[in-house]
Amino acid sequence: MKLELRRIHIKDIQLGNETAVKDGVLTVNAEELINLLKEDERIKDVKIDVARPGEKTRIIPVKDVIEPRVKIEGKGKGFPGVTSKMEQAGEGKVNVLYGAAVVTVGDIVGFQEGVIDMWGEGAKWTPFSKTYNLVVDITPVEGLQPHIHEETVRLAGLKAAEYVGEAGRDVEPDEVLVYEMGSHAEESKKYPDLPKVVYVEMLISQGLLHDGYVYGVNTQQILPTLLHPNEEIDGAVISGNCVAACDKITTYQHQNNSVILDLYEQHGKTINFLGVILTPELTTLDGKFRTCDYTAKLCKMLGADGVIVSEEGYGNPDSDLLMICKRLENAGIKTVLITDECSGWDGMSQPLADTTKEAVAVVSTGNVSHVVTLEPADKVIGDDKAIATLAGGWEGCLEEDGSMKCELNAVIGSTSEIGYHYCTAKLY
Amino acid sequence: MTRKGGEKMKFKVLYYVNQFFGQVGGEDKAGMAPEFKEEAVGPAMGFNGLLQGEGEVIGTIICGDNFFNENKEEALEFIMNIIKEKQPDIVVAGPAFNAGRYGMACAGVAKAVVDELNIPVVSGMYEENPGVEACKSKAIVVKTADSAAGMREALPVMANITKKLVKGEELGLPEEEGYIPQGKRLTVFAEKRGSQRAVEMLLARLNGGEFKTELPMPEFDKVDPAPAIKDLSKATIALVTSGGIVPNGNPDRIQSASAQKWGKYDVSQRDALTGEYYTIHGGYDPVYANEIPDRVVPLDVLKEFEKEGVIGKVYDYFYTTTGTGTSVANATKFGTEIGKELKEAGVDGVILTST
Amino acid sequence: MDKSLNYKIVTNNPRVKENYKEVIFIDGSFEDVLLRVRDLVHKGYELISHPLGASIRVIFSPYRSIIIGKKLNEINETHVEIIESSIQSYRNLMQRRKPDTKNSEDYAFIDNELLKSSLEEFRRIYIN
Repeated sequence: MKLELRRIHIKDIQLGNETAVKDGVLTVNAEELINLLKEDERIKDVKIDVARPGEKTRIIPVKDVIEPRVKIEGKGKGFPGVTSKMEQAGEGKVNVLYGAAVVTVGDIVGFQEGVIDMWGEGAKWTPFSKTYNLVVDITPVEGLQPHIHEETVRLAGLKAAEYVGEAGRDVEPDEVLVYEMGSHAEESKKYPDLPKVVYVEMLISQGLLHDGYVYGVNTQQILPTLLHPNEEIDGAVISGNCVAACDKITTYQHQNNSVILDLYEQHGKTINFLGVILTPELTTLDGKFRTCDYTAKLCKMLGADGVIVSEEGYGNPDSDLLMICKRLENAGIKTVLITDECSGWDGMSQPLADTTKEAVAVVSTGNVSHVVTLEPADKVIGDDKAIATLAGGWEGCLEEDGSMKCELNAVIGSTSEIGYHYCTAKLY
Repeated sequence: MTRKGGEKMKFKVLYYVNQFFGQVGGEDKAGMAPEFKEEAVGPAMGFNGLLQGEGEVIGTIICGDNFFNENKEEALEFIMNIIKEKQPDIVVAGPAFNAGRYGMACAGVAKAVVDELNIPVVSGMYEENPGVEACKSKAIVVKTADSAAGMREALPVMANITKKLVKGEELGLPEEEGYIPQGKRLTVFAEKRGSQRAVEMLLARLNGGEFKTELPMPEFDKVDPAPAIKDLSKATIALVTSGGIVPNGNPDRIQSASAQKWGKYDVSQRDALTGEYYTIHGGYDPVYANEIPDRVVPLDVLKEFEKEGVIGKVYDYFYTTTGTGTSVANATKFGTEIGKELKEAGVDGVILTST
Repeated sequence: MDKSLNYKIVTNNPRVKENYKEVIFIDGSFEDVLLRVRDLVHKGYELISHPLGASIRVIFSPYRSIIIGKKLNEINETHVEIIESSIQSYRNLMQRRKPDTKNSEDYAFIDNELLKSSLEEFRRIYIN
């Protein structure tokens, strides 16, 4: 499969009378977008706003982040199986509005957090303080069932990203990245001596607000599935995860999955990258045993020498992570795990409650309970009430000057367990 | 810290050593009560020189290791009073190397000083010294060799850290500065993103190269349990304890903390321990154990069980040592030695009590 | 409907108590639910669903529902490890935090929903 990601570097964003990109400036016709989204009768109201890096703007509660793109050549468009008809993803030419992002806000339930601060201390902790964000705030009609509400917002966000992406259709890209990889047989013939590496990507698959989708199929229903890396970076996997702010894999992060991109960088040079195994994180123990056994078996059948395993979430997925590691290591396959940790406010607690001696190589993406101080914002896009949720939970987190302390777990993408961000924890 | 006239004031260090390094005596003086000398004694002298005029040792507290561990409250009262009076900017204790009781004493001082007076403490110990676990999160414990031969290397590292702490400078990573990690996980930004670090770590593993995990898993010491006793009514059961229960007078001089030995006492003619046994364990309030030592080592109940036929026999001897501050190495050694004796004596099961 | 399935739901969620029959209701906190499950697992009951949720937010929930199965002949060591480490994880995360009671109703709702998904999963793999 060959996929060309053609990046148009976005340097600014504004609302205006048209939706277009000129000299790196993205202009969006808010009215047109709103009308388009309201074609879905389940949507009552849509508010559009922009947030630029450096502005004292806070976006909360964030539901998902999506990268605006448009496929100019090749099969499929948008998100096959979800926003458009089912087509094989992973091939063709895609124009990417690189540096722009569509951010959906709005909570399905009152306790959602997920904050993006575009400036100051908070900005350091999220990768989306550096993107030019088009914020889409969706209000559904009254009385919608929460499942339907979630689906409505999810689809609206994806559609918005498609609409905005169209602006890049006829624009010349600033850089073109080519992702080309043939079958295992072909690649192994080309690089017989390179170690074979598989990426096991764990995905929360547990129900409302905790869903993932591959080609529109809810991952709670799937067995671990082999994907060509191009498929994921071409929109085959989207997020239905609305809660785990710090370590959820947003749709944007699926489209730009850092493990996939970093492994691809090494393909043909130091490794033979065999692809991605999408592994659902289930709730029942038997479900977990089945998925972990199946994942390990796939790795063995593929003849993997090494596997990187990433996790999504905190709590029960920690069990899956370690079970997969154990099975792989015992089969002679070398693993590296990527996970966040919980070492308490002072960093003194035992970071992982669940442990296994086979986990000898682990990348830590930071302490989810690390406390950061967020300064008061000039502008809040989204729901003020969500700030109370952010600041709630313990005494003394709201300061007199309006700044507040919050744990890292409320910041979007801060401890990304696909290693998307730069946080880590060191032992002092 | 400047006086009028621009002359910089030296920061004040109060030094703590045991009877040996305080040049009073050896094991025979381990029971000495704490004393204060208004000068730098023993390692404090070398330490003073290393401060290069930026700071000075204003005095040394010398205390016997046994005295501290057996009379903690009294010892600390004296020590804390001196510190409150002299108001040092920092307290330095040790280095204790691998001496367990000394390490525990340094730890006791460190905890009290940090918790009650909020004055920083620097110490030095060998990694396996039980004092490390007791105070590493409160004080900065420099990593030293396991014997006093490492004094020359340890003092400069301790002096360096002392200077930084007094000046309020941030310490670098433990491996850079030379101290034992306090166990604090600090969230920082790395140069490379997580996925990049993961790829590099995997490449290192695949190529047999060196790599360093970012989340060390704790040490596992899995011991397989022995198979269950089939018939308790025919079994010989022995009592073993780390609760420090010894005959009155502690004839074998088992230590109150950081035990160096275990004891074995004949209880075949007794129905209970009360009357002739007490506790020397320095880690818990002894009142109830002294009243009725069977509370820690349930000989009385076990003898009843023997009479009632619940168990076959109570083994003639019980074994005792002190758990607090005892190194893992010693504990393993004791367990192996005691286990061997019990096995050779045909004992079927052991009730092991701790506190 | 569920006569053939042998399970009970250990929960402190009043919503779940309303909707299901096979409930062991705990009049207490999230942690109390965990502790009761621990006791039951030590007595030999099978642990069906993992004691914790998958996101930190739902771990802040005041409500939690956990599915346990039938009483086994032997205690399952893996299940014991899982419940014990779940309690540790929970305490680690919560520390000085209090469960988020301001949004109680929403949490009760989500807990119920997630329980539904768990039960569906359980039904699909149930072996008598």
